[in-house]
Amino acid sequence: MTKEERLKKRHSAEKRFRFYGLASIFVALLFVLILVHNIFSKGSSAFMKTAINVEVFFDQELLEIKNGATENQILEADFYDITIESLLKVFPAQDLDQENQLIDLFTTDAEIEIKRAFLENNNLIGKKINLEITASDDIDQLHKGNYPRDLPEDRRRISDFQLIIYDNLVENKKIIKNFNNYFFKNGDSRDPELAGIGGALIGSFYSIIICLLLAFPVAVLASIYLEEFAPKNKITDFIEININNLAAVPSIVYGLLALQILLATIQLPRSTPLVAGITLALMTLPRIIIPCRASLKAVPPSIREGALAVGASKFQSVFHHVVPLALPGTLSGTIIGLAQALGETAPLILIGMVAFVVDIPSTPIDPSSSLPVQVYLWSESAERGFVEKTSATIMMLLSFLIVMNFLAVYLRQKFEKRWN
Amino acid sequence: MNEIKIKSKNLNVYYGEKQALFDVNLDLNEKEVTALIGPSGCGKSTFIRCINRMNDVIDICKVSGNIEIDGVEINDKNLDVVSLRERVGMVFQKPNPFPKSIYDNISYGPKIHGKGETKSELDEIVENSLKKAALWEEVKDRLDEPGTGLSGGQQQRLCIARAISVNPEVILMDEPCSALDPIATAKIEELIDELKKTYTIVIVTHSMAQAVRVSQKTGFFHLGKLIEVGKTEKIFKNPDNKMTQDYITGRFG
Repeated sequence: MTKEERLKKRHSAEKRFRFYGLASIFVALLFVLILVHNIFSKGSSAFMKTAINVEVFFDQELLEIKNGATENQILEADFYDITIESLLKVFPAQDLDQENQLIDLFTTDAEIEIKRAFLENNNLIGKKINLEITASDDIDQLHKGNYPRDLPEDRRRISDFQLIIYDNLVENKKIIKNFNNYFFKNGDSRDPELAGIGGALIGSFYSIIICLLLAFPVAVLASIYLEEFAPKNKITDFIEININNLAAVPSIVYGLLALQILLATIQLPRSTPLVAGITLALMTLPRIIIPCRASLKAVPPSIREGALAVGASKFQSVFHHVVPLALPGTLSGTIIGLAQALGETAPLILIGMVAFVVDIPSTPIDPSSSLPVQVYLWSESAERGFVEKTSATIMMLLSFLIVMNFLAVYLRQKFEKRWN
Repeated sequence: MNEIKIKSKNLNVYYGEKQALFDVNLDLNEKEVTALIGPSGCGKSTFIRCINRMNDVIDICKVSGNIEIDGVEINDKNLDVVSLRERVGMVFQKPNPFPKSIYDNISYGPKIHGKGETKSELDEIVENSLKKAALWEEVKDRLDEPGTGLSGGQQQRLCIARAISVNPEVILMDEPCSALDPIATAKIEELIDELKKTYTIVIVTHSMAQAVRVSQKTGFFHLGKLIEVGKTEKIFKNPDNKMTQDYITGRFG
């Protein structure tokens, strides 16, 4: 082979490699795009809800309360009758069956929504006002175009009569799209139009805070001790190997551990963010220790020597010089560990967070759900309305993860000091 | 001749199985510059790291024998290395300023030793240290800038100032000019000449010319043994040992 041929071969090898590299990046980006597109196209509609404009007459005879009633009086009062009255006025129904079909167009919480309007303004007795009552899940999906209306009637959840009402409402511009505040405010519900991630958000928040409070100090102290103070011998080698092994243990195993120890033995309350936080902390601990030690190791030994040579003690050289330099790496490792914990589902299912919890937790020892478990729960549900909710929850989860990862990068770049 | 400041007796150092120093007996005089020369890996740096017990940092390193400073044994488990290193400062081969401001680089030592309780006392220590290290004029207007932003030679003088700041008796220099250009080297050498009036200086160097220029006494190491020690003039003009002769004339090393 001549020199020219060899040179040519070397150049083409490099070109081939560049091509393969670019192709791999392209494929990876393609998958990300498909994923994002899939989630967005399914989930973005969940941020809007469909409502029907209804004229409500607050009839004193039906309500049995007066203007200026106290909050307790209003809460105790029965709004059922005026709700039915108002809803039935939307479209003329011939018989009881048609009346029921008409009422089914609205959310089961229509009465509560009307009561809420009265709570805001208790001077409405004898007045007529227009309220936007949330539509039922079926109408919501129909209006968003997710519902096939050309199926035969017996295979549809919406009857022909309901379709007639719907078309009439659309024609009269009575159907409105509103921002879906329920999605962020409410807890879980059997009715898709009322279900929200409020409970899951708070549950996840408490879990992550507890995880951070437990895992971060332990991980940082353990890393500093192992990296800077511990003698290098067989015992520390053994500990190091086991930390690496622990980081690779499947998360569901931590769920089993928590089930046995936290729930069965210590009897902590089931389905709570407290237990979730402890479980996630156990899981995250080795995942924080590893980057933490790596960033301590990355501090050049010359800095330690410089500090020791002016007479700093070991402790001073570590805490005045090494730890501050390792801090950016430590923080970003912690945030990435927490981001992993935030998306963790399997151990939470085992400790009972998969329970159907309607109430929003007010403390970490109230039963609660969490974002990834909520995704899992809704993805199992049959109703069409939960499909978009599932994707929208994934969007929320992903946006938290992206924010956390950006924060990690930002902290690393902002506080990283360069030496030499 | 000046009085003996540091005295080593039968000093042996082992890195694990490997012995790095063999029965080194070397006396270093007060307020003098002693240069240690020899080929790479001959134990010069290991020797000076025994004087401030920096070898303690290396787990596998074992030191036996005696080193006395002012007649007090320092190779003693019960000795507090913190106060030893306050008396024996060190400057390393590669400048290693802390990634902090110039001011903080200098004030760190005095602060941890409780010297300079007030801000004005600290200011004074910083100014004096930088002046002694011949760096004051260059940095006095930018004391809050990072020490790592200085040039290599300035960084090394900053490290010397840092060593001076705790007012030591001895300064150990481990090839302080090997990472510097000739102009920066000349400045450091001038500085060493000035510093020897106050401090006992031990300098490890690969440059024989430097040893001749800065030192009064020279020790030649080879394979962990101290081959010959004596007045610099004598070592370079008329060494007793054949190996020393070969080394300084460049026949090996």
